[in-house]
Formats: sequence, C-alpha cells, structure tokens
Amino acid sequence: MATWHQRVLLAAALAGSSLASFAEDTDPVILPEVERRDITPAAIDSEDFEVGAFAGILSIEDFSSEWVYGVRGAWHVTEDFFFEASYATSEGDLTSYEKLSGGAPLFDDADRDYTYYNLVVGWNIMPGEIFLWDDVALKSDLYLIGGAGSTDFLGDNWFTATVGIGYRVLLNDSFAWRLDVRDHIYDRDAFGTDETVNNIEWSTGLTFFF
Amino acid sequence: MRSLLTPLIALLLTSPALAEQDFLQSTVVEAFVEMRTAPGRGYPVFYVAERGELITLLKRKTDWIKLRNYRGVEGWAHVDDIGRTVDAAGDPLAFKAADLDSFYNRRWEVGLMAGDFEDTDAVTVYGGWHFTRNLSIEAHYTENFGDFSDGRQGTVNLVHQMFPQWRYSPFITIGGGVRETSPRSTLVQTSDRTDNVASVGAGLRVYLTRRMMLRFQYKNTVVMTDRDDDEEINEWQLGISAFY
Repeated sequence: MATWHQRVLLAAALAGSSLASFAEDTDPVILPEVERRDITPAAIDSEDFEVGAFAGILSIEDFSSEWVYGVRGAWHVTEDFFFEASYATSEGDLTSYEKLSGGAPLFDDADRDYTYYNLVVGWNIMPGEIFLWDDVALKSDLYLIGGAGSTDFLGDNWFTATVGIGYRVLLNDSFAWRLDVRDHIYDRDAFGTDETVNNIEWSTGLTFFF
Repeated sequence: MRSLLTPLIALLLTSPALAEQDFLQSTVVEAFVEMRTAPGRGYPVFYVAERGELITLLKRKTDWIKLRNYRGVEGWAHVDDIGRTVDAAGDPLAFKAADLDSFYNRRWEVGLMAGDFEDTDAVTVYGGWHFTRNLSIEAHYTENFGDFSDGRQGTVNLVHQMFPQWRYSPFITIGGGVRETSPRSTLVQTSDRTDNVASVGAGLRVYLTRRMMLRFQYKNTVVMTDRDDDEEINEWQLGISAFY
C-alpha cells in the first residue's frame, strides 16, 4: 500500500518537474512571426454556359415547312466541345394527300403539334475570326453537332437522331449570334408502314454567355 | 450603314466599368505571359505581359482567362500560364487546366447516353456526385421508344468504382426508381401505367481529354408490374460525359 502511494506521488512530482523544465527549455529563441496567409481562392467569373432562343423553318416530311421556335442551353466543357440541350415547337399542316383529296383529315389538329427536345455534343471544328473593318474582329466558330432526343408528333413520341452544322459569331464576350442547320431523323409508322423521315431545320438565334 | 453600326458595335464591345479591386490581380514571374486576341489556341498572340507586370484577371472562358495589364491592354491567356503567376503574398495562383489528375479527383459528372433498352432505342441524361473517391450517387432519366410502347424512367443509383486511379475505370451500380409506360397510339388504347423499378449494372468510364470521358454501361432492370410476372429489361448504353 505504502509503495503504491509512494509510486503515485513520485510519478506526480516527476511529471510536475519535467513540465516545469520543459517550459524553461522552450524559451523562445526565434519568435515564429509567420503571418497568416490568405490563400487566394480561384474566384473568377467563368462564362462557360450559353442560353438562348431561336426561330426558323422546319421542313416536316410529308407535311409542310413551318415556323419553329425554341430555346437551347449549352455548357462549354472545353474550347473544342460543348453539351447542348434544345427544346422547340412547331405545327404540321395538312399532308399533300389531304390537300389534294379534299377528304376528311387523317390526323387531329392536336396531333399535328410538333415538339421535340434533344441532347447533343458539339465540336467547334473551325474556330475563327471575322474582320468587319480595320479595328473590329469578332470571334466565330463553325461547329458540328450530333445527338439524340425525342419528337412528339402525330400522337406518339419518336426516338430522334439529330445531326447538324452551325455557326456562332460572338458579338462581344457575352452575346452571340447563331445560325444552325440540323436534320432530325426518326423512324415513323404513323402511315402504317415503318419509314425513316428527315426533317431539316434552318434556324437563327441569339444566345447569352454567363 | 457603317456609321450606324459603329456606335452599336462599340456599345456591345464595351464592358461595364468595374473597379480594378473587384478583380483578382497577380504578378507575372515567368519571363512573359502571351496574350491572345480571343479564347482559343489558334488565335494570334498580339501582346506579351512581361516579368514583374501586375495583371488583372477579368473573366474565364473554358481554359482561357481574359486579363488586363497596367496599360489597359486586354487579351486572353491560357489558365496554365496564369497558374504560374503569383498573388500579393508570392503564392502561385490555383489555376490549372483539367487533366488526368482532375479525372481521378472529380466531384461532379454529367453526361448523355444512348443505346439499346430491351430492343428499343433509348436516350439517357444523368448527373452524379462523388462523395468519396470510390462512391458516387447518380440520378438518371431515361426515355425509350418501342414499337408497342414508350417509357420514361427516373432512377437514383449508387455507383462504386473499384479503381479510382485507373484511366479505364470499371464500376458497378445498384439503383431504384419509377417507370411510366405509355402504349403507342396505333395500338388499342390502354392506359399509361407507373411501376417501381430496381436495377443492377456494371460499366466502364474512360478518360478522354480535359474534362471529357466516355461511359459504357450495362444494366439489368426489374420492372415490378401489377401483373403476375415482373418484367426484366436489359439495357446497354454508350455515352459521353463531362466532369468537374
């Protein structure tokens, strides 16, 4: 018992003395006067997203060429590639057969509403500049796009492949003017047999980078 | 025409005046930093900012940063060049173009996929968040188009990649969600139905370049229908994704 007490007291005394001597040993020889550094965050305004509206002409196979209106948004992943989503609406008129035969229409008016969306990958294959006059040069890109999406027409949704070519002129860092030609291709059986249809779309629009 | 256009273009080209202190500033410590007329590798170098020059970083587009020097000259420099300039404390700025390392340490990914969904065409858009280097959680939206029915499917998936440090990185996944099936209009009208789905799958991510990767996956999905038998769907998809 006594030895146990002795051991505790001895240990406490030893600990106390060694702490005291440690405090003496660490008398500051050099004061560490390292200032706190504010690490610069990479805080800079990135403008990699592009949104905009477009209008154009959509040639609906077996129907007619109609106005098309839409919106699109893109993410520029690198200077070469971008991901883009588009959504647009149009409306098919009578087919040639319906016009010539003068009979009852083949489809309801509601089924003639043409809406589509697609997700494409774009490749700025030919970046360039436009020289308007001596001191004004605007950046431009000629790009190819390819992707897939859905077309809602004649009462059904159709899996649609979209390919196209486009041209973008940057009016300044934030605004761009665009021209697009796209082909929307899908297999349709609305007339009883499977057929592949091509729907060519010409459009132009303005986009905003943010 | 030109007299009308000039002020208009000038108006468009002038950025709103902002004070210098609103922007990040840095000092050139390498021999020089090349400034280009536009954000792209092919645009001409029209100016060089020299060692010791203080530059103001205005904005970034993909891997290019627009900067202004003390003379007011504005141009675009590559992020890797800006990453070698230093701040007021002498530390290099934390700017770097994405590379294989960024792929290994990515936090977010989004992508598009297309493929075969039990003999029908399908398109998928997805987004994922990596909460550890191995595990990520993903939300998928798939639309498929068959001869007899269309479907829309939303799922949440847990994805495990066994070798996050591999350029060709395999993964396995499990998930669940809901599926809505609509019979085609050419068939006898039956109503749309909504079912729960559960899936298991495996796939491969392949780093391509910068922020881009290829993604290939197979999924086996069970649709828990109200009928006697559940429906089984085999799904093969190939897509392209970007990460951040």
